[in-house]
Amino acid sequence: MSLIIDSVSKRFGEVQALDDVSLEIKPGEVFGFLGANGAGKTTAMRIVLDILRPDSGKITWNDRPNTEVSRDTWGYLPEERGLYAKMKVLDQLVFFAKLHGVKPKEAERETLDWLERFRIPEYAGRRAEQLSKGNQQKIQFIAAILHDPQVLLMDEPFTGLDPVNATLLKEAFLEMKDRGKTLIFSTHQMETVEELCQSIAILDRGRVVVGGTVRDVRRSSGRQVVRLAVDGDLEMPWLHSLEGVTVSRRGLDYTETEVAHGHDPELVLQAALARRCRVLRFEITDPSLETIFIERVGQIDVTERTLAPRAVLA
Amino acid sequence: MTGWRSLFPNAWYIAAREFRSRVSSKSFIIGTLILAFLAFGITQGPVAIDAAVGANQTHLTVIVRAADVPLQSADVMDAQLNGVSADPNAKKAFAVIWLPNGDVAAAQANLEDHKSDALLIVDRDPVTRNLTFTLRTDLPADGATVRSISGAATILSLSDVARRAGTSIDAVVKPNFVVQPVKASSAPASSLSQELSANLLSTGLIVLIFMAIITYGTWVAMSVAEEKGSRVMELMLNATTPLQMLAGKVMGNGAAGLTQYGIVLAAVVGGLVAQGPLHRAVVGGAGSDVSFGGLSPVVLGAFIVLFVLGFLLYTLLYAALGSLVSRQEDVQSATSPLMMLIMVGYFMSVFGLQTIDEPWVKVASFVPFLSPWLMLARVAVGHVELWEFALSVLLLVVAIAVALVAAARIYSAGVLLYGQRTGLRQVLRAARVSR
Repeated sequence: MSLIIDSVSKRFGEVQALDDVSLEIKPGEVFGFLGANGAGKTTAMRIVLDILRPDSGKITWNDRPNTEVSRDTWGYLPEERGLYAKMKVLDQLVFFAKLHGVKPKEAERETLDWLERFRIPEYAGRRAEQLSKGNQQKIQFIAAILHDPQVLLMDEPFTGLDPVNATLLKEAFLEMKDRGKTLIFSTHQMETVEELCQSIAILDRGRVVVGGTVRDVRRSSGRQVVRLAVDGDLEMPWLHSLEGVTVSRRGLDYTETEVAHGHDPELVLQAALARRCRVLRFEITDPSLETIFIERVGQIDVTERTLAPRAVLA
Repeated sequence: MTGWRSLFPNAWYIAAREFRSRVSSKSFIIGTLILAFLAFGITQGPVAIDAAVGANQTHLTVIVRAADVPLQSADVMDAQLNGVSADPNAKKAFAVIWLPNGDVAAAQANLEDHKSDALLIVDRDPVTRNLTFTLRTDLPADGATVRSISGAATILSLSDVARRAGTSIDAVVKPNFVVQPVKASSAPASSLSQELSANLLSTGLIVLIFMAIITYGTWVAMSVAEEKGSRVMELMLNATTPLQMLAGKVMGNGAAGLTQYGIVLAAVVGGLVAQGPLHRAVVGGAGSDVSFGGLSPVVLGAFIVLFVLGFLLYTLLYAALGSLVSRQEDVQSATSPLMMLIMVGYFMSVFGLQTIDEPWVKVASFVPFLSPWLMLARVAVGHVELWEFALSVLLLVVAIAVALVAAARIYSAGVLLYGQRTGLRQVLRAARVSR
């Protein structure tokens, strides 16, 4: 009972888009695909949707090959968003729902309901070309879920949304999760992943570099992070003398250190106390996903992570 | 193959959406109005020409000043000028007014007022006793009309000479004249005008198919490219199969095309019906009656069958080629190979009409991409056996089935390939692995 991607490979000419990718995504889970541009996220989704066929490997949903699963199983929000520019919002949402076998009356009711929740009920009668990018994106989200799919695949759903709309969409996300849907999405935004996902896979040039629950991935390096703040000493130069401890970030409120595998983070606290420091803060945590990502993949393209709409940047 | 999962109802929904968005677009409404207006205008051409030039009947006034010319000479003259027609109601080339001892001054006034085109004065030479003729007209002296009149005058002279010699050639000047077909078994001999109108008709029908396929095929390609360009395609790809999309697009745009076509044809028929009354109102006189010259049910049926099949074949390919580009501006160049193919079929059939029984015309009328035109030409001219038509249609249907598979493949591969211009090799490679 899950979505299984079993050693899938796909090549486009010279480019190996996916290289022996295997993943298991459990039903009802929120799953994140992380990866730089061109890592193979979109290709992986298209292959799951049976829009593309893999060169080798197979996909099963509840033990049935995806080629035999009904298309209504999937809800898809493509990365490249598009609507029929001249068509009214309500008309096109009903049209998409009808293609998935939803009765027009029902589709209309659901659509109006969702428009209400996204705070854009007045857009039902407008043509798509009259809507802002962010609002078009909300319409496309509705298009992806109107037929009540079991699995929702969303390619970069939060890109180009302002914080208010991103929050609205996250709420809708969580509601779909509460309805027992399986959610799969790709993103560059690590904060969103840590906020929403139970499991992730980091893709790099078509390979899964690391995958599993967010907790496991963060622990995968074996290192631990210690955040420390003591009264009256911002510098804490003695930290450098501790074995297996490196200072990774200095801040006004705390200093972050990394403790290598095999060393006890408690030693940092003991060292501080031994120096009669008044400890204001001591926190042991796992490295952030961002740290793991950079470690495994390299620098993230910063421009892709901004919350500003893409169109404005372009 | 998932592409072959149930075609309906999704293909209907897509077709309905395509149809609605096409028909409600400004370009459709304006284009249809302009075409209908033009079509109506063209059908009024004859009325306009008649109004401008006057009826193309030559009004000839004959004033006979010579004595001893019997009244039945008027019949002889008429028969000579207008021929012996089996149809007493056929429109005559010459309207002859025969006036024994008529008023030359009044006739001259009519000439000057353009109420008549020519005045023929018949006198008798006092010496030779033969008839002499004077023709007053602004028609060219070496033209066909004047030649006809001079020929008729010759017969009048002959008949006059014979009568004075105590005999008559009346039986000869209105001979018993029968027209027979070359082979007794072939269809009833068509008159020259019928043959001409059959040629004209088939040219007309060929042009109709030609225009429709190019115009509405381009619509299909445009709508595919537009969908791809606006990236709605990816939403559609999850909701439907390429085959459903392909079928929906061809049906929806085809229906929109046929709607425009129907409106324009209605304007043509309306125009033809209006010809008579308009002619009476503008030019006066009876005017020509409505004539769909030679449009028999057989030709009409063949036209509809070949039109629908040809349309299907070409629009499928238009859709496939449209899927290779993502901008509407590129549609023209992407579909140019089809344009060439259509042109070849069109011109072959136009030339083929002149040499309809040549072997190359026969062979070409079985070739699927050419048959919509060439078979139609053969049917319209009437030199075709039933089995030949059936075979041609069968081959066309087979070609459509092949085109459907190929188009669905190219389409499902093409719609996902974004880039400048997708090369054929890239598409074929993608088509091999797509669903």
